[in-house]
Amino acid sequence: MPAAAPTSDLANVADAATTPSAVEVRGLVKRYGEVEALRGIDLTVNTGERFALLGPNGAGKTTLFSILATLRTPTAGSARVLGRDVVTERDAVRRELGIVFQEPAIEQRLSGRDNLLLMGLLYGLPTAAARRRADEILTQLGLAESAGRPAKNLSGGQRRKLELARALVTDPKILFLDEATLGLDVDARRGFWSHVRGLAATGRTVFFTTHYMEEAEVADRIALIDAGRIVALDTPRALKARLGGGVIRLKTDDDAQARTWLTGRGFATDADAAELMLVHADPAAVLPELLRHLPVKVLRAEVHEPSLDDVFLKLTGRGFGSEHASAPPGGGRGGPNGRGRP
Amino acid sequence: MMLRGIYAVVVLDMKRFWLDRARLIAGLAQPLLYLFVLGAGIGSSMGGSMGGGSYKPFIFPGVLGLSQLFTATFAAITIVFDRQIGFFKAVLVSPVPRPAIALGKIAAGALQAYLQGLVVLPFAWLAGVPLGLGPTLALLGAMALASVTFSAMGVAVAARFTSTTVFPIVSNAVLLPMFFLSGALYPLMTAPRWMQLAAHLDPVAYAVDLMRGALLGRFFFNPWLSLGALTAIIALLTWLAVRIFNRGEDDSSLGATNFNWRR
Ligand SMILES: Nc1ncnc2c1ncn2[C@@H]1O[C@H](COP(=O)(O)OP(=O)(O)O)[C@@H](O)[C@H]1O
Ligand SMILES: [Mg+2]
Repeated sequence: MPAAAPTSDLANVADAATTPSAVEVRGLVKRYGEVEALRGIDLTVNTGERFALLGPNGAGKTTLFSILATLRTPTAGSARVLGRDVVTERDAVRRELGIVFQEPAIEQRLSGRDNLLLMGLLYGLPTAAARRRADEILTQLGLAESAGRPAKNLSGGQRRKLELARALVTDPKILFLDEATLGLDVDARRGFWSHVRGLAATGRTVFFTTHYMEEAEVADRIALIDAGRIVALDTPRALKARLGGGVIRLKTDDDAQARTWLTGRGFATDADAAELMLVHADPAAVLPELLRHLPVKVLRAEVHEPSLDDVFLKLTGRGFGSEHASAPPGGGRGGPNGRGRP
Repeated sequence: MMLRGIYAVVVLDMKRFWLDRARLIAGLAQPLLYLFVLGAGIGSSMGGSMGGGSYKPFIFPGVLGLSQLFTATFAAITIVFDRQIGFFKAVLVSPVPRPAIALGKIAAGALQAYLQGLVVLPFAWLAGVPLGLGPTLALLGAMALASVTFSAMGVAVAARFTSTTVFPIVSNAVLLPMFFLSGALYPLMTAPRWMQLAAHLDPVAYAVDLMRGALLGRFFFNPWLSLGALTAIIALLTWLAVRIFNRGEDDSSLGATNFNWRR
């Protein structure tokens, strides 16, 4: 149980002991021919939790979600959604889950209302009930005005909301969101997440992937995934606490020399990082010292609280914004705080 | 869940078809070209060699079959498009049984082919075919059977494709020979022996012959044979299509190959 989860009152704890976890993944492996997209994932998402899967492109997030949503079969290992096996109890799993895919999954030429109506029909609602449910959800998400237009004529934000509406038509107990806000501007993203927060508040499990750091911060717990493995799993606060203290970032005219010097003085730097980053218990106090003694010219110095990006960088030797994309993979993995599995 | 699933898939496809309803008119071009250009050109050169009737009424059922064949195939192509993007993924994670998706696709394609046939039908009058009540009713029945056959053909093949560029090429390479060998444009009775034999293996031949027989009373195959053959073909292809949809659990579109015989 996450200590920081606000909803974990006594009743919920007792409940969690008897009801199955929302998602339970054990030793999950998925290979596409040569490519090993998942290399042994272990993961438990509790009911009612907001759980984030955070990782760079190609880490295996979509693959994991496709397996959980019964669209792909695992190569090895097992996965359960609400206690049902995703391979042997496929139909039961399908009835329970709602998913927003990374790519659009609405019929662009049909109206939002028609899309939702069809969704209701697919889940076995009679036409009148499906129509009522569509209107209900459209109003709830503030899409009622634009629901008559072909989906392709909606704005990006409205379209993603329509995807959310599609996933919600059947009132699923668990909601999967795969990079649901990809490509949206900050405002539209905020609007989207405020709806999701509302859903989570009603006790629904929300399991989402993202590579926007600030989106992951709202989660009760976060799993950091890299190259098909979970490298850490904890509450956002605990993850950041792992770094201890704060982070200093330096830009010098000779990073290599600076690194050697720092390492010689016993400062932990990151060997593979594209920039010079060091973690220290009291960065503000040590920085003036460093600036005085470093044998290279310091062009820029930054001190800040550790972010999730720093945690990821520390654990994998790589960040995952585009500016880090060209950094060499591998190495540095499983550093001092590495073995992240609970 | 099965029937509701089929219904949902049919509603989806018919809603999309309705957006493209202009295609019903555009779809007239090809059959009318055959009927009035080919019909007039060849008809006049053959004179009275058609054994009684003139050429245009003779090819009318063939042309009707052609329009249904191409409409059904076009409907099946949406399966390939759907796989690549769009709503279909949402269909695949819904609890609709896989066979219902296959059956719904076949039903929707057949419905579209039938509608296209109904749009071509009034031109019978211009082709000089008498539309008596009895023959017309028989024809409407035969058209239904033809529509389902063509749609099942399209779906059973399209379900194996994941590339939108390959499927139309392959389907044209298969459809045109099937159409030309079917006796839609010439009497099988007087065709060379090998063509008659080939026609026995061609579903389009049975469908066209049945429609022609219904309308003009001239059959090449025994109508019972045609009925039996078409029913058997529909059953076989439907079974094949259901099997493909049933199997493809690893079937979201990502990275799949163009075509997979083993599916
Ligand atoms: N259908 C596929 N065939 C082959 N490789 C794939 C397929 N889908 C994904 N991959 C590979 O698997 C890895 C994980 O991909 P994915 O799950 O999409 O990651 P993410 O969603 O985290 O970006 C990547 O290396 C990707 O190239
Ligand atoms: Mg992805």
